[in-house]
Amino acid sequence: MKRTTTWLALLFAFAMVVAACSGSDSTTDETTATTTTTAPAESTTTTTAAPNPDFVGKVLDAGGCDYGGSVEKISAIDEFTVEFDLCAPNPAFLAQIAFGVFGIQPEEHLVATGGAPLENPVGTGPYMLKEWIRGDSVVYERNDNYYGQKAAQQTAVLKWATESASRLLELQSGNADGMTFPSPEDYATIEGDPNLVLIDKPEPNVFYMGFTNTFTPWDDVRIREAVALGIDRQRIVDTFYPPGSETASHFTPCSVTNGCQGDSWYDFDVDAAKALLAEAGYPDGFATKIYYRDVTRGYLPTPGNVAADIQAQLKENLNIDAEVVVMESGEFIQASSAGELDGIHLLGWTGDYPHVTNFLDYHFGEGNTQFGNSYPEIYEPLKTASQTASADEAAPLYEQANNAIKELVPMVPVAHGGSAFVAAGNVQGAYAPPWGSVMLNLWDNGGDTMVFVQGAEPISLYCADETDGESIRGCAQVVEALYSYTQTGDVQPQLATECVPNDDLSLWTCSLRQGVLFHDGSTFDANDVVVSYTAGLDAASPLHVGNSGVFEYYSYLWGSLINAPASDG
Amino acid sequence: MLSFIIRRTLYAIPVLLGIVVVVFILIRAIPGDPCTSLLGERATPEACERFNEANGLNDPVIVQLGIYMKNVFTFNLGESIKTSQPVTDLLVERLPTTTELAMSALFIAIVAGVPLGILAARKHNTGVDAATMAFANVGVSMPVFWLGLMLAYLFAIVLKDTPFSLPPSGRLTAGVFSTPYYEVWGWNLQEGTFWASLNEYISNHIIFNSFITAQWSVWWDAVRHLILPAIALATIPLAIIARITRSSLLEVMNKDYIRTARAKGGSETRVVTHHALRNAMLPVITIIGLQLGLLLGGAVLTETVFRLAGIGTALYDAITGRDYAVVQGFTVIVAAIYVIVNLLVDLSYGYLDPRIRVK
Repeated sequence: MKRTTTWLALLFAFAMVVAACSGSDSTTDETTATTTTTAPAESTTTTTAAPNPDFVGKVLDAGGCDYGGSVEKISAIDEFTVEFDLCAPNPAFLAQIAFGVFGIQPEEHLVATGGAPLENPVGTGPYMLKEWIRGDSVVYERNDNYYGQKAAQQTAVLKWATESASRLLELQSGNADGMTFPSPEDYATIEGDPNLVLIDKPEPNVFYMGFTNTFTPWDDVRIREAVALGIDRQRIVDTFYPPGSETASHFTPCSVTNGCQGDSWYDFDVDAAKALLAEAGYPDGFATKIYYRDVTRGYLPTPGNVAADIQAQLKENLNIDAEVVVMESGEFIQASSAGELDGIHLLGWTGDYPHVTNFLDYHFGEGNTQFGNSYPEIYEPLKTASQTASADEAAPLYEQANNAIKELVPMVPVAHGGSAFVAAGNVQGAYAPPWGSVMLNLWDNGGDTMVFVQGAEPISLYCADETDGESIRGCAQVVEALYSYTQTGDVQPQLATECVPNDDLSLWTCSLRQGVLFHDGSTFDANDVVVSYTAGLDAASPLHVGNSGVFEYYSYLWGSLINAPASDG
Repeated sequence: MLSFIIRRTLYAIPVLLGIVVVVFILIRAIPGDPCTSLLGERATPEACERFNEANGLNDPVIVQLGIYMKNVFTFNLGESIKTSQPVTDLLVERLPTTTELAMSALFIAIVAGVPLGILAARKHNTGVDAATMAFANVGVSMPVFWLGLMLAYLFAIVLKDTPFSLPPSGRLTAGVFSTPYYEVWGWNLQEGTFWASLNEYISNHIIFNSFITAQWSVWWDAVRHLILPAIALATIPLAIIARITRSSLLEVMNKDYIRTARAKGGSETRVVTHHALRNAMLPVITIIGLQLGLLLGGAVLTETVFRLAGIGTALYDAITGRDYAVVQGFTVIVAAIYVIVNLLVDLSYGYLDPRIRVK
């Protein structure tokens, strides 16, 4: 007994040391937060007169467009009207503002949290955050004041497990109602289980083989075209991709408007490929490398197997000796983006928002070095198209760009990978959206609690400053944007009732939904929109704090941050 | 005794400092960087530049090391690059789960391993001995993640809807919460103080917290969630303890004083329990101590398979996410635990064997 007591005492002493460490840090953190909170948000916003004398509208003014971004001004015209003055026409505006990172939180809450509501988001969504048990789950409580379709369940729980097998186990054991991305090997098991439903998730993605034209022999278009002809892409899709996947006819999936304008990709033709190789001076093939990273994505579910198959096909069909090189993910992305890989690189893309610019402009825009020197035949029509108001008017330009991509072969689009969600058989309304996050208020298991399992824990629940899908799914239940994506991938008004453009799509006026309450009881108005965007977009704002402080999507989707630090430019 | 403890504590300082330096350098030598891990593969070089600047990652490594060492000496283990949480807050959240898991596993390993070892020794060279040791060999060889998945499959799916059904993951059932004892008892703790952190740390031991506050449904839920991971984690130490107990007991049973004890007419059970076992326990205690250290620091696979939010999964996430501060902080703490456990093991020798005098 005495021995046991001694042991317990020593363990308790150790616990106290650990807790002491915690205590000292918490205090420091609190002090920092307090200091930040005292800074006023008004330093980067100005006021303007509004029709309602009681309402003072705020304005985020970039002072012009020389800073390099696409937003010149965001103004609260009156209590329920916000105007977005852009630096150039933007036909993708609605698709962009529907992205979950542009969620609206109350101005007062952003100020109170010093611009970092990382663990306590306040929104207008169908669920309110109840508790985030770090490492375990995020628990939500139904928002009974929600203006839209109220959640069927009083409680929703977001859990996570890295391995697909673990997520599936949760469902099979009855401990969860839904999960993301089952492994393709488990499809048969799921389809054979009467208690589970496999839901196809149309993934807007593309897997491609990229070439950098600043290296020999990839500077010769005939070599690139020979590889395009000499790889049996259908075989890759049939062998390594789950049901719902398809061989790419274009770089952009056809579900995206104007994505598939122009001619379809080359058919598999070994003889033509060999003839091109011979014409280019390589009748006996050559040696090269295949670079990839061993990271599973929807567009590339089994990277190693696909790399090995491409290696085998290059040898069998074209007598090209390709050495497979596996790189660390970060290094690979960095090197491929900078155009530093001298062989074939296997990479892909999953769209952020449903607009063709998100696929084509990002990859083939002027100045992109991933495929070496960028091609004016591709980027010039893209640039014109991106400033064209009507999708119909832009169609011929996208046709021109897609045909130029086929002709110049900066890469070979291989596949649009399919994926899926799984739901318990008793869940009504289960769906897997192609864009945006699944909304748990639309799922109904007939009980009190809905449990959904995803692949990882959210990094934070302030998604203005996050980039991962798991965080954004966690935020989406609570915080809403002006627009949202429908279950089929279209955009629909959410906190806005409509956003109307001027003739050339450079000025968008959004009318806001009235009578909406935030979870803290405050009323949603136009200033909340301006301040939420200010926090993300204006690097000089005291609210521009977030988690990493980088606000990557604000910077990327709006061209640049306003008042970005010197290194940004 | 006191001078011994002080001396051992002083010896631990250079060990821990060495670990800090080695981990600090190694984690930076791994390919990849925190920026890409956190901001995603689309992070621009400019964004990474801002990110690195904000997190002090542009400074020379030696400067970063100096700053970190200075902070460590003031018990400041830094902040997670990924979540902006202080590392010590993470420890307060995560360590209790690992502690409960490790202690449960060790309990199972001792309660089953020691009797199995004794049984094998007493039935030396019989079928029982062979079967026990075969079991031990299987236990040592079985991959924890495989055993974990099999246990989860058996108890969560095959035995689903039976009284033997057990949850395959998590610490508590979704929607079940353990109310901290200080809230149950109406204590008013000031957030951010040492006292609040200490109480939060203690209350995060869910089994303990729910027991002392009589939240019996929570307690039972927590116990049920811990059974499978504890069994999976206990397998290897159980096998090792059984083998060491057997060999140690066999060695002692051949000693002269055992023959004397038998000659005095004591029963075999009395000879084993009163004379042999206590002397045979020295190496067993050593092994148990080492296993506790390993369990606390090495429950990564078990925590991953059973989705437990302990320091194992936190460390794994931190390594894959290049979250330098968390990797460094947790490694130091795990190393400190190891040192402390070894010290406790050494101290326990004096109790078990009066001939050993610590000076």
